Amino acid sequence: MRKRVAHHATVELWPRIGRTAAMALSVLILCSCRGPAGPTAVSGPAPPCPAPGFDTSADAYAMAPPAYVPAGPPGMEMGVPLPYAPAGPWAPPGLGGCPWPSDEYLCDGGDAMPAAAVMPDWEVRGLNVEDTVAHYDTVDGQTVVEPSNRVCVYSPRFRAVRQVVGVQQNKQADRSIGMYIPEKLAGHQDVAIAGTSTQQLQAERQVSQAGPVAFRMRQGDGAISTAIGPVEFHNKFQPYEDFSAIRSGLIEMAEMPFLAESTTAAIVWSNNQAVQIMLDKQRATVAVDVDQVASVYTIDEPPARPKLRVIKVASTQFAEPGDMVDFTIRFDNIGNQPIGNVTIMDNLTTRLEYVPDTAQSSIAAEFSAQPNEVGSLVLRWEVTDPMKPNDGGIVRFRCRVR
Amino acid sequence: MASTFRWKKAAPLALRLCRWGSGPLAMAVCLATAAWSAAQQPGIHYWHHGNMPPGDIAATRLQRGGPVAGYFQPVELVAPSGATISVAEGGAFGEPMAAPVRVGLAIGPVYRIRVMNIPFYQGLEVFPTIEVIDRLYTPRGQEMRFPIRVELTQEDLALALDGKFVTRVIYLEDPEKALPVAQADQEQSWFEAGPGRDPLAIADQLGRPVAILRMGARLPTGTEDFDPGFLFGCPALVKFPPPTKLLGPPPRQALPLESDQPPPSEPVPSQSAKANRPGDRLAALPWNTQ
Repeated sequence: MRKRVAHHATVELWPRIGRTAAMALSVLILCSCRGPAGPTAVSGPAPPCPAPGFDTSADAYAMAPPAYVPAGPPGMEMGVPLPYAPAGPWAPPGLGGCPWPSDEYLCDGGDAMPAAAVMPDWEVRGLNVEDTVAHYDTVDGQTVVEPSNRVCVYSPRFRAVRQVVGVQQNKQADRSIGMYIPEKLAGHQDVAIAGTSTQQLQAERQVSQAGPVAFRMRQGDGAISTAIGPVEFHNKFQPYEDFSAIRSGLIEMAEMPFLAESTTAAIVWSNNQAVQIMLDKQRATVAVDVDQVASVYTIDEPPARPKLRVIKVASTQFAEPGDMVDFTIRFDNIGNQPIGNVTIMDNLTTRLEYVPDTAQSSIAAEFSAQPNEVGSLVLRWEVTDPMKPNDGGIVRFRCRVR
Repeated sequence: MASTFRWKKAAPLALRLCRWGSGPLAMAVCLATAAWSAAQQPGIHYWHHGNMPPGDIAATRLQRGGPVAGYFQPVELVAPSGATISVAEGGAFGEPMAAPVRVGLAIGPVYRIRVMNIPFYQGLEVFPTIEVIDRLYTPRGQEMRFPIRVELTQEDLALALDGKFVTRVIYLEDPEKALPVAQADQEQSWFEAGPGRDPLAIADQLGRPVAILRMGARLPTGTEDFDPGFLFGCPALVKFPPPTKLLGPPPRQALPLESDQPPPSEPVPSQSAKANRPGDRLAALPWNTQ
C-alpha cells in the first residue's frame, strides 16, 4: 500500500520568496562588484617612492595602492569633483628617505622586494632592476646577500604622443534620375554666424600614419656574456669619491653630510661594538666571584660575525640624456671572519647604458656583463681571493644616460 | 514508508542539494562568478579626453591641489632651424624670437603662440596653443636645465598648414616603462596614436602628461588686432634667457714645419708644482677624452 508523505510549505527551509530574494541579491552584487585588478603593465616590485601620478580619472585614486597618497581635495577618491578647499600647507606624500617624485629620478642600488637570494646552484634570484647587491660565503658555509645603499640621479626624459585628424574630400559622380521643380517654398535655411570660437570637429575619416612597430635598440656587440679580466685600476680618486669611506673604508662622521649628498637612504655603517677589555687581542668578560675580592677575567671566543659593507656613490646628482655618470662601489669586510666568493652585482635600469671597457676593480676580480630583461646589463664582479677582516676594495664603472 | 525510502535512495545528490540548499547554492554560484566579472568595468575610467577644448584639463588639474597654482613651469619651445616664435602677451604677439625659446608658463591658462619663417613655407604662419597641465619638481637651481621640451616639428607644421589638426601630448616618461633607446641630441621621441584612440590616455599609461600642444585649428580674423578669445586672454608668462650653448675646446694649432725662429720653449715647472697641477691628475684617468 502506498503511503503518501505530505509536504508542508511551512517546513521548507528556503521558501520561494527567500530563494527569489537571494537570487535578486546575488544578481545585484554580480552587476555592481568589480573584479580583481588585471596584471599590471610592468611586472616587478612596486617603486619604493610615490609619484605625483597625474591621472585624468578620479577612480584611479580609489584603485591606487596605499603608498600613493593622492594630492587632491577630499572626496576625489569617490569620483565627485569638489571645489578645492585647502586644509593646510601642501606637503608631498610620505617620502621614506627617497627623493620625490620618483618618475623624475633614475635610481640604482639597494635591494627591492622580492629580496635577492642565491640558490644552491649559484643562481641569483630576485635581482630586480636597479638592485645592487653583494653576496659572499662565510666560514660556516652560509651565503649572505648584502645590499648597497640607493643612489638617485635627477634625469627626467620627455616623449610625445601625436594624433593627426583631418577631413578627407571625395568626389562622387551621380546620375540624375529625374527633375523636381518646386512650385512653392519647401523650407528655408538660416546660416548663423558663429559667435563663439569653435574648433574643428573630429572627422569621421582620419588620415594617420602608422606608428613605428619596431624601435631601434642599442645592443652590445658580439657575445652576451664575456668574462673580462681585471682592468688596471687607477688610484686617482675623482672628487665625487674622495671620501675616507671610499679611499680607505674608514667612515668619518665629518664626511657624513657630504657623503649623504650623493647617496640616499644611507644606512648606518658605523660599528660601535668596541671591545672594552683586550687580552691578547681578544675580548674578555668580567666574572664576579663572591668568595674573592678580585675580579677574574676570562677570555671567550667572540661570536662569529661576518659582515660585508657596501657603499655606492655617483659622480653627479643631475644628468641630462646623453650625459655620463660614474658609479663607485666600495666594499669592506667589517666582520671578524674571513669571507670568500665575494660577488658584486649591479642590475642597471633601462635608461643607464654601460659604457664598454670602463669597469675597474682595485683587487683581483673577474668582470662580466649580461643583458637583463629591460634592455640594459647586469654587471658582475667576482673577487678571486678571500677577504680577511678589514680588507676592502673598490669597483668603478661608467654609464651613459639614455 | 517503503516508497519514501525508495525515493530517498533513488534521488540523486543534486536533487537533494537543490531541495535543502537551493538558496545558498545559488548565492554561492553567483558570487563565485563575480570574481571573473572584470570585463564589465575597465581598470581606469578616464573622465577627460585628448580632444577636449583647450584649458579644461589644466583647470581640473588646478582643482586637485598641490603646489601647481602660481608656479611658472619652464618650457622650451623648439622649432625647425630658421623659424621664429612669438608668444601672445599684452593683447598681441611679442617680438619674434629665434628658436629655441624658453618661457615660464603657468598651469591652467592656455597660451597662443605664432610660428613664422617656416622652412619651405615662407610667408605662412601657424598659431599653435600650449596647455601646461603639470609641473616638474626640479631641485632648486636646476629649473632652467630641465625644462619641458615642446617640439614643433617640420612635419607637424606642414600638416597644420595642410588643414590637419595636430594634437601632441608631451609626457614625462616613467623610468620603469622607458624604452631602452638612446635619445638623440635635439630630438624628442614620439609615436603616433591610432585613429579612435585617446592620446592623453596613452600618455597617462606610459608616464605623466605634462603639456598638450595643439595646432591647425583656428586662424585669426585679422592680421593686426587679435580678439581676446583667440589669444585666450593673454595670460601672464615669464621670459627666460635663451639656453647657453657650451662650445668645445678650441682646436690646437700645429706648429709650422719650417720656421726661422725656434719654437718657444715652455717653462719647466718645479717638481712640487708639477705634482699639484690638476691637469696631470685628470689626464691620468682613462675616460678623460678632453
